[in-house]
Amino acid sequence: MFTYVKYLAERIVILIATVFISISVVFFVPRLVPGDPMGAILVKMASVGGSRGQSALVEEYRRRFGLDKPLWEQYLSYLRELAQGNLGISIASFPTEVITLLRSALPWTIGLLTVTTLVSWVLGSIIGAVVGWQGRRSWLTQAFVPIALLLYTTPYYILAIIMIFLFAFHWRIFPLSGAFSTAARPELSLTFALDVLRHAALPALSIILVSLGWWFLSMRSLIVSLKGEDYILWADAKGLAPKRILWRYAFRNALLPQATGLAISLGHIVAGALITEVIFAYPGIGWVLYNSIKGLDYPVIQGSVLLIIFAVAFANFVIDIAYPLIDPRIRYSQAGRG
Amino acid sequence: MATLALERQGLSWALLQNKKFVVGAIIFVLLAAVTLAGSLTVRPEDRRSGSLPPRLPPGQQALLGSDSLGRSIAVQMTEAVPNSMQVGLIAAALGTLLGALIGFISGYFGGMIDALLRILIDVFLSVPSLLFLILIASLVRGLGVQAMALIIGMFAWAWPARQVRAQVLSLKERGFVQVARLTRMNGLEIIFRELMPHMLPWLGANFVNAFIAAILAESGLSILGLGPQREMTLGMMIYWALSYGAILQNLWWWWLTPVQTLMALFLALYLVHLGFDEVSNPRLRAQG
Repeated sequence: MFTYVKYLAERIVILIATVFISISVVFFVPRLVPGDPMGAILVKMASVGGSRGQSALVEEYRRRFGLDKPLWEQYLSYLRELAQGNLGISIASFPTEVITLLRSALPWTIGLLTVTTLVSWVLGSIIGAVVGWQGRRSWLTQAFVPIALLLYTTPYYILAIIMIFLFAFHWRIFPLSGAFSTAARPELSLTFALDVLRHAALPALSIILVSLGWWFLSMRSLIVSLKGEDYILWADAKGLAPKRILWRYAFRNALLPQATGLAISLGHIVAGALITEVIFAYPGIGWVLYNSIKGLDYPVIQGSVLLIIFAVAFANFVIDIAYPLIDPRIRYSQAGRG
Repeated sequence: MATLALERQGLSWALLQNKKFVVGAIIFVLLAAVTLAGSLTVRPEDRRSGSLPPRLPPGQQALLGSDSLGRSIAVQMTEAVPNSMQVGLIAAALGTLLGALIGFISGYFGGMIDALLRILIDVFLSVPSLLFLILIASLVRGLGVQAMALIIGMFAWAWPARQVRAQVLSLKERGFVQVARLTRMNGLEIIFRELMPHMLPWLGANFVNAFIAAILAESGLSILGLGPQREMTLGMMIYWALSYGAILQNLWWWWLTPVQTLMALFLALYLVHLGFDEVSNPRLRAQG
């Protein structure tokens, strides 16, 4: 138990460090650019047509973030505002709070990401185990490995473009973009739910297929390397059915590194999914981010970046602390993602 | 952990024996050679928009067709492929170098330095670096290809650092390092004379990995509208194609050309990466 406490403490340190370092990067990077950050943004705003209530906005920012005060005071007040869940005010859609914009986008991203990540992880692991168990010469290996390799090396958004062309433009099976039809009214009905599913199909499929390729490849090589282990040979010698050996012995052990893999690649998955949202104009955080980049809405860019980092760090933390609980053998002193 | 063959005949020989490495390297070199050779034949007036009739499908008049602004796709490719490769090269070199340095220091010296660096490595591993890149690129717009590559490289050190650290930890306790210590070689000497040769295949695999990640980051940033606006990269080609609605106008040659080139490039680099991996880790080879 003592080692678990130590491990837990280590993970908490990492979580705090992640949050703290990313907040600091987000705070200091704009200030490394010469000139008054707000001023620079407003000049840019003016060059693309200006916005309503500019001076009110500047005043509000100066008041909240104390932009005329020394840097460390600004930093402290920035931390204080963040602690209260305040991410600032949007420039492009002043005076909407950044957090309000993000809150309405968040469910779409979380829904899309959770479903696709889980589906691809589970499916990829199962198919990878079956194919890995078959051995090198089996037709399953010959057929699946090259496909998985091709899928894995394709970025999400590249597959997304191909998907749009094939299934939305060429065959017109699925809608081109958005999360629901423009005519549909968000409500709790079967028609609306089906509409949402139809719109989510292509973005989800492009994320699932790409990650599936990776989970398949990694589970397959895990199973292949476990096949030579003594306990598998022993189980075989005992006369256990191969199916039982695969699922009860090899698969269960391979799930642990596979879970570690999930923790490591979470950030990568999220980053790819954000751009996939842009390709499909799917109204999640990625789409908000894209629009704020186009509209030079720096507070919103900052807010979405921070929110995503927090989410990834927290999800990582959850996987990390659950990991030793499912693996009693783990040597806590060397635990972590190794 | 180098194989006997590796120690006897050297790294390059072992790599040339590896089928995956050779196939990947051939695709990569072909892509580079064709586009670089092509760029020599391009006249300045071919680069201008309107040098061809707009929306021309691939054919005799234009090898790969033209876009909505009457720019030749083939001419864009001769600029985009070398530029994207340049981003990969610069960023991967910087990232691997920084990573190797941090990993060496962390693993070799241990103690407090190691504890702090490990936290830093873990943090930068878990945060998607694309987010920091978005933050920076949206403040300093209009960056050129090289500047972008440097910024991408500055956030690409975490993975190599972690790998190198683990390797140094395991190599450090081996006999030859202990002997070197007894002969009073200093830390740096041990690192470069004794440890470096064993790390080369790992560094190679990491370099290729960083190369892939950098091109991914560049194309991701470009699609978000943060790419080098005045230059062509594969990511920028996709960005322009998407923003002019190339898919819906059925100008397939416009978006398909950079898309399939990116796929070929990633596949080639991944095969090279697998080659390095197998050479440095003989157990992988048996798995096929």
